[in-house]
Amino acid sequence: MSVVPFRRLIPWLLLIAFGVAMTQAQADERDRGDTIVGTLGTMGSDTMAGLMLRWGEALARRHPGIRLQLQASGSASAPPALVAGTTRLGPMSRPMRDDERRAFVERHGYPPRELTVARDALVVVVHRHNPLAGLGRRELDAVFSDTRRCGAPAAIRDWQALGLDWPEGRIRLHGRNAASGTQALFRRVALCGGLFRPVINEHPGSAAVVAAVAEDPRAIGYAGLNHLTPGVRALAHRDNDGTLHAPDPEAVRRGEYGLSRDLYLYLNLPPGETLPAPERAFLDLVLSPAGQAIVEELGFVALPEVLRRRQRRALALDDGG
Amino acid sequence: MLDSPPPTAVRRRLRQGRDRLATALITAGGIGVIAALLAIGLFLAVEVVPLFWPSGESSAIDAEALWGGGEAAVEETSRHRWAPTATLAPDETPRISLAPLAWGTLEAAAWALVIAVPLALGAAAHSSLFMSRRLRSRLKPTLELMEALPGVVVGFVAGLVLAPWVERHLAEVAACLLLLVPGLLLAGGLRSRLPARWRETLPLGWAGLWLVPWLVLVLAASVWLAPWLEAVAFDGDLRRFLELRLGLDIAVRNALIVGAAMGFAVMPSIYALAEDALSGVPPSLAEGAQALGATRWQTLWRVVLPAASPGIFAAVMIGAGRAVGETMIVLMASGNAALMTLHPLDGLRSLAATIAIELPEAGPGSVHYQLLLLAALALFVFTFLVNTLAELVRTRLRRRYRRLGGGS
Repeated sequence: MSVVPFRRLIPWLLLIAFGVAMTQAQADERDRGDTIVGTLGTMGSDTMAGLMLRWGEALARRHPGIRLQLQASGSASAPPALVAGTTRLGPMSRPMRDDERRAFVERHGYPPRELTVARDALVVVVHRHNPLAGLGRRELDAVFSDTRRCGAPAAIRDWQALGLDWPEGRIRLHGRNAASGTQALFRRVALCGGLFRPVINEHPGSAAVVAAVAEDPRAIGYAGLNHLTPGVRALAHRDNDGTLHAPDPEAVRRGEYGLSRDLYLYLNLPPGETLPAPERAFLDLVLSPAGQAIVEELGFVALPEVLRRRQRRALALDDGG
Repeated sequence: MLDSPPPTAVRRRLRQGRDRLATALITAGGIGVIAALLAIGLFLAVEVVPLFWPSGESSAIDAEALWGGGEAAVEETSRHRWAPTATLAPDETPRISLAPLAWGTLEAAAWALVIAVPLALGAAAHSSLFMSRRLRSRLKPTLELMEALPGVVVGFVAGLVLAPWVERHLAEVAACLLLLVPGLLLAGGLRSRLPARWRETLPLGWAGLWLVPWLVLVLAASVWLAPWLEAVAFDGDLRRFLELRLGLDIAVRNALIVGAAMGFAVMPSIYALAEDALSGVPPSLAEGAQALGATRWQTLWRVVLPAASPGIFAAVMIGAGRAVGETMIVLMASGNAALMTLHPLDGLRSLAATIAIELPEAGPGSVHYQLLLLAALALFVFTFLVNTLAELVRTRLRRRYRRLGGGS
C-alpha cells in the first residue's frame, strides 16, 4: 500500500485554506454593505503607536473601506504635520506647547481640537527583589537629579540612604532620552523641572529601560506603565500626605497616582464644520467602550466614563456606546 | 555578432559616440559623488546657521555654551552638560555642551583602537609571515566574515548579554585578563624547551590551531582561581573592594565594554588591510634579509613592517574612521550617559548615538534639532579630517618607501 507523503499534501492544503479564507472574507464584506471609504493619515507619538495600530485594525474590521496610515516618530512630529495640513489627526503623549498651538492658529485661523483618548502613567521600577515600598516626589528628585528643585535636603546616592540593607552600594539610574515625552513628563513631575544627573543611562525606549533594570539589583529607572515585565517591580508613589499609591489602573484613573498623564489626539477641525466620515468613524470607535477596551488591553488606562461621554457629546457622536 | 560588416564611417562614429557617452557618464558619476558630499556638508552648515545668527526673537547661542561649560548650579556634578530640552529659569544658561558627546566619541574610538590594533596587527603579521599557507587560506575568509556582522548585533550582544555577565563575574574576567598574556608567553617558553622531535609536532605555522586548547586551559584555570584570588587579595568581593577601598563606581555599560565590542567590530577590517599590505611586500626583501643573517623577528621588525607601513597606517586610520562613526554598538553598549571622565569603567555617550536616539523625536526647526545637526556637522568634519590626514600621510610614506619596492 502506498502512502502519499504528507509533505506533498502541504501545498494543496494551503491552497484550499487560502481559497476558503478568500470566499469567507468576500462574504464578510458583502454582508456589511458599508459605504465609508477613505484613508486616514496620522502622524505623531510613538508611545501611542501600538494603540493607534490596534484602533486602526478594529476600524478596518468595522469599515473595510477605511485604511489607516500610521507614522509614529514622536509627539514633536505631530504639530508640524497638523500645521502643514499633511495630516488631520495628530496623536500626542503630551499636551501641545503654546508655541506649537500658536503656529497652528497662525496658519489655520482656529485652534486645534484637543481630545483626551486614554490615560497613561509613568512607573518608577526597581529590580524584582528590591524591598523598597515607594518613593515620594522629593526622594525621586534627590535620587535622579542634581538640582533638587523639589526641596530635598540632600542628594541620595546609595541604597542605604533610602534605609535599605540590600542592595548595597550606589544607585544606578536608567531613563529615557532627552527628546522623548516620557522624559519630559518625568522631569516636570518628579524633578520639578530640574536636570537629571549626567550619570543616568539614557535608553531609546521604555522596554530597554525595563530590561536594564531587570538585570541589575541596584538599578532604578522610569518607564511607561504598559512596559512593565515580571523582572521588575513598580514602586508606589507617596503623595504629600505620606500615603502610598500603587500604580494600579483605578488609582491612575482617579488621578491619585502622582505620575500619570493623559494621551491626546489633536484634530484639525474648522469650527462649525462636521467631521468627515472616516475621521468620524475613527473617533466613534476610539471613544466607544470597545475602543477603551483596547486601551486597557495594551496596558494603558481607560478614560473615566464621564469624560468619555462628555467628549462624545462635544463631537456630536450618536450615543451608541 | 555573427557576421561583422567592414567598419564603415557610420559605425566608427557610432562607436566614438558610445565611448564619449561612457566617458561622460563616468565623469558625471564622479562629479555627482563629490557634489553629493559637498551638498551634505552644505546642508548641515545651512541648517545650523540659525543657531548662531538667528532671524527672529530667539537669541544666538554662543560658542562658549557649546564647547565649554556653563555655570554649574550649586549641586551639579559637572560643568559640561547635555540637557538640550531642559526647561530653564530665565537667567540660566542653556545646558547644551557638545563637549561630553565629542569626548565620548573619541574615548570610545580610542578604547576600540587600543583593543583592536594590537590584536589585528599581531594577527596580520603572524598570518602573513609565520602561518602555514593552508591555515591562512582558511583563517582569512573567516575573519573577513566577521566584518559582515551587523553593528546592531554586536551592540545587542555587548549591551544586553556581555555587560551584565561581566558585571556579575567581575573577578573571573579580571583573572582571565591577568593570566592570558603570561599564559601565552609561557606557551612560547615551554615550546622552545621541548625536545626537537616534539617541537616538530607543534610547528610554528600551526600555532593558530594548537594554541586554542592551551588558551582554553588557561581560561579554565583562571576561572577556577578567581574565587581564591578574590578571597585573598580583595576581601572576598572584588566589586565591593573597588567601591569601598578605591572609590571606583563601576557602570554596567562602560567604556571598556564599548571598546571591546567596537574593537571586535573594527578588527577584521584592520586585519584584512594590514594583511594585504604585509603580503604585498616582495618576498625577495625578506629572503634577502634572512640571507644576510637576520632572524625572523629582525626581518619582520626592520624590513617588512617599514615596507608595509603605508598600508598598515591606512588600515589603522580606516579602523579609526569606522570607530568614530559607529552608531549602534555605542548606542546599545554604552548606556548613553553624557559624562566627561577618563575612567574606563564609567559610561559614555557619543555624537552618533545621540543623533540616532534624539533626532527622530526632535521637532524639525527647533533649537534641539539644529543642535543635533551641528553635532552631525562636527562628526562629518571630523571624519573628513581623519580621512584626509590618513590619505596625506599614506601617500608621503608610500613615496618614501617606494625605493624598497614595498608599499600597497
